[in-house]
This record gives sequence, structure tokens and C-alpha cells, in this order.
Amino acid sequence: MLKMVGVETFYGKIKALHGVSLGVEKGQLVCILGANGAGKTTILKTICGITEPEYGTIHFNDEQIDHKDPEEIIKMGISHVPENRRIFPELTVNENLLMGGFLIKDKDLFAERFEKVTAHFPVLSKRSSQQAGTLSGGEQQMLAIARALMLEPQLLLLDEPSLGLSPKLVQEIFTIIQDLHQAGVTILLVEQNVNQALKIADYGYVLTSGKIFLSGTYDELYEEEKVREMYLGEGKYVRRARLWRS
Amino acid sequence: MNDVLTGLLQESVSGIALGCIYALIAFGFTLIYRATEVVNFAQGELMMVGAYVNFFFVTQFSGVLGGVNFWVYLFAFAGSIIFAILFGILLDYIINRPLKDEPVFSVIMATISLAIILRSLTAIIAGPISLVPASPFGDNTFNIGSVVISILDISIIIWTIVLMAIFYFFFNKTRWGIAMKATSTDPEAAQLMGIPIKQVYRFVWIFAALVGVIGGVLLAPRMALLDTNISYLGLKAFPAAILGGFGSIPGAVVGGIILGIIETISMGTLSFHFEWVKEINDIIVWIVLIVVLMIRPNGLFGIAKVKRV
Ligand SMILES: Nc1ncnc2c1ncn2[C@@H]1O[C@H](COP(=O)(O)OP(=O)(O)OP(=O)(O)O)[C@@H](O)[C@H]1O
Ligand SMILES: [Mg+2]
Repeated sequence: MLKMVGVETFYGKIKALHGVSLGVEKGQLVCILGANGAGKTTILKTICGITEPEYGTIHFNDEQIDHKDPEEIIKMGISHVPENRRIFPELTVNENLLMGGFLIKDKDLFAERFEKVTAHFPVLSKRSSQQAGTLSGGEQQMLAIARALMLEPQLLLLDEPSLGLSPKLVQEIFTIIQDLHQAGVTILLVEQNVNQALKIADYGYVLTSGKIFLSGTYDELYEEEKVREMYLGEGKYVRRARLWRS
Repeated sequence: MNDVLTGLLQESVSGIALGCIYALIAFGFTLIYRATEVVNFAQGELMMVGAYVNFFFVTQFSGVLGGVNFWVYLFAFAGSIIFAILFGILLDYIINRPLKDEPVFSVIMATISLAIILRSLTAIIAGPISLVPASPFGDNTFNIGSVVISILDISIIIWTIVLMAIFYFFFNKTRWGIAMKATSTDPEAAQLMGIPIKQVYRFVWIFAALVGVIGGVLLAPRMALLDTNISYLGLKAFPAAILGGFGSIPGAVVGGIILGIIETISMGTLSFHFEWVKEINDIIVWIVLIVVLMIRPNGLFGIAKVKRV
């Protein structure tokens, strides 16, 4: 469904992606792991056209989408829940959802989607006319996801949806992601909660300094000592850190 | 004492009318600032162009229709509005788009150049002489008690209210209006919603041109003479915007109106009764501004942070 080949993205002269190739099949939940600054967010931004790749190609449903404007890409069925939620704080919850469905011109269709999404997130309907900036972190994340679901995307890009949430809310967000996955939405997930993300993912890519370093299923990645060390809390780095603390 | 009160009331109405013009300029200015962080130094020139273009249309249409009448003003006004829309689109193409990836500072410099170019071009096209603008209402007035009110002033106030009501409705109730607000706070997130932000910016420039031109159309009949110096009234948009709270749209409108009232009263009644006020007429606005900022550093409608960083 999504295919990236040899993508290189620059911020000015700084190269953030050094030839990234990855694929997502229909119905899959694919996860991208990597340290801070590895380029995970850049991958998602490049897919939906916020940043343009200098080299390489991106295909979505066999149509080339690199060098398309974001609005065209979104129209084709990709929605993006950005890092740090990026809800519109001065708009109300309902207005945020209205923006999520900006591309829906048909009033009835909009009403139908709106019903569906708010039924899925009852917290939001309780706060419908509240300014989104006054919501709690967890509610804001729900709103960000709900907003992206207004278009019923074929592919949903999620950038660290559990960032800054309490363990209980992290659990809730992961349940939502799993539900969406089971409902058939294809998902590309960037996460720091590696253990949890890999458990629900069909496939994972490990990114270091803008390059794909490893890829595989949870079991395959688990076999890799480096991954365990760096991300799964079993390596010598972690043990050393624990020693240090105690 | 009664005379003083009458004078004050009369000046207040006239001050509100003048303030409405400031409010329109400050509104256009704030709109662009909120959406693009660009301080548009040409907002006063947009108003000046509006005044001239309307004058041109009035002259042309009165030739066609045989004399100046109601229809002439109406058609001229419609013509000016169409002009404003086209002008806004043009500005988007020559100022906004080519410079979209450049630092905000470059765009601000471009608006300064634009201001100078517009002033010179207008002077070249219209010739060096001042024009005598006509008013659709002549010097007609009406009385409430002993307070004499100019119909022109009232019509300026009504036009401004109508315009602001339309904008209020647009920004709060329509899909595109809310999308413009969303784009102003977070363009990248707006793009992720599929909002075509290029079109949003074009709308912003069209609106700025519209309020500028309409401001000019409304202001010109108040002036004894029309020359390119009226563009300097545009500089009042700054104290107006700061007074109301920089970046706040209601603030810009209220700030503009307060400014108009203060200016008119200080030049009228206050100067008449207190010799020293006459001396400080030119700076009274700035004094008020400093006092307000001392009490409320973010202005009357101040929002401490305009943009998410
Ligand atoms: N707007 C930008 N301008 C310049 N450099 C940028 C910009 N955004 C990201 N970068 C750089 O690109 C690299 C990749 O950034 P990116 O945000 O994609 O990382 P990330 O993997 O998402 O990190 P994190 O886990 O912290 O979110 C980093 O080195 C970063 O400094
Ligand atoms: Mg990131």
C-alpha cells in the first residue's frame, strides 16, 4: 500500500534521511523505532508532503506521491496524527473535528462521520464546545486521533501518540490503536514505548541516524541483541544505568 | 457646561467614525500579522489606493450616468470592491508567494517597498494636485437634541459594523473562516487536515486589501482634500493594534475606535478649553498608549502569546 524507496530528505543543508526504504501492506500495523533525532518524524512528514524528499520515491496505492501537495496526499487517504498532538488550542473540540473533516464537502457525510467519531470518543462529546487548549493531555491526544479519523483514512500515521501520558492513558491509547488496527485501518506508528509498540505491531523498522538499521517482526527483532539492549530494557546499557542508580 | 457636553458628544460620534477607519486598517494589519507574522507596512497605502480608485470610479461613472447621484456612488463602491479583490490576489502573488520560504523580515521589507511604490505610482497616475472628493451625503447632518451628527459619519460607523459582523460570522461560523484561524495558529497542522494553506494566505491578502480599500472609500469624503498623505493615517494602525493588544482582532478594532475618539476630543473640546492640550495634540495618542501599556503590558485585549512557538 505504501512504498518508500531510497528517500533522502534535507532540512536546508542537513540531511535527515539517508536513503530510507520501507513498505506497509494493507491492513498492517507497522512500527518505526529509533532514538531521538533518528528521523522518525521526518519520515512521516515526508510521506504526507510537509517536507519534500530530495531523492527517492514514495508510492501510495501504486500512485507516486512524493512532490504532491499535502492536501492532495491527505485527499488520497492518508491522515497524520502529528508529534505533540498539534490540536488547534484556540478552537473548540467540535471546531477541531470540523477541521479534521475539512475535505468533506457533503453535509450529510460529514454529520455521519462526526457521529461515528464522537461515539467512539465519548470524552470528546462531553467537551464539545470547550476550547481544545484547555483539555488534559490525554483528551488532547484522543482529539488528535479523532480529528485524523474524520476522513476515514486508509493509512493512519501516528507520531508518538503516547508521549507524555500517564501509564493508564498510555494503555488506553494503545487499546485504541489496536481497535483501529482490528477494524482494518492500516497504521504506521512511531513510538518510544518500544516494548508495547512491537507487541501490537506486525512489523517493525529500527532507524538510526536517518538509516534503516534493522527490520523484522517482534520475534525477529527480539533476537537481535542490539535491539534488546537499546530498546527492550534488557541490555547492558540498561543494566549499567541501573547500577549507576543503585 | 451643557455646551461642553454637547461638544463632547458630537466629537465622540465623529471620533468613532474616524476610529472606525483606524479600526479597519488595524484589522487588515492584524489579519496578515496573525496568519503570517508579517507586519504589513503598506496597509495605509492600501487605504490610499482605495480612496483614489473610488474617486476614479465616481468620476468615470458620473460621466456615463450624467452627474453624480446615488447610483454613481453605489457602482463606484462595487467597482472598488472588485478592484480590492483583484488587488489582494495580485499582492499575494507578488509579495506573499515569492517570499514564502524567506525570513519574515524580508517580507516586511517587501511591504515597505510596496508602500513607497504605491505612493509614488498613485502620485504619478493621479498627478501632483490634490483632488476634492465628493460625499454621497454632502454635508448633511441631523440633530439629536442639540447634538449635530453628520450623516457621513453615521454611515461610516454603520458600514464598519456591518463589515465587522460579516467577518465575525465568517471567522466563527464558516468552514473556511475557521480554517483560516486554524492556519494562523498552526499552518503545518492545518496542512495535515488537507486545508490548502496557499489559498488561505491568498484569502488573507484579499481581506486585507478589502478592508484597506473600503477604509479609503469611507475616509475620503471626510477629507477636504485627497492626496497621497492620507496613507500616513495607516501608521495609526500600530498604536491602535498595540493599544488593543497586538495580534488580537477585537483588540485592533477597539483600539482603533478608542484612538479615533481620543484624537478627536483632544483636538476639539480639550484644545479649546485647555491651551496646553493643543500643544500635545500630536503626541496624545502615544501618551495614552504608554499609560495603557504601563497598566496592561499586553494591551487591552492582550494575549500574552500570539503564536505557539
Ligand atoms: N525543521 C527542522 N530544521 C532543521 N533540522 C531539523 C528539523 N526537524 C528535524 N530536524 C533534524 O532532523 C533530524 C531528524 O529529526 P526528527 O524530528 O525526524 O527525529 P525523530 O526521530 O522524530 O526524533 P524524536 O524522537 O525526538 O521525535 C534531527 O537531527 C533534527 O535535528
Ligand atoms: Mg519525532
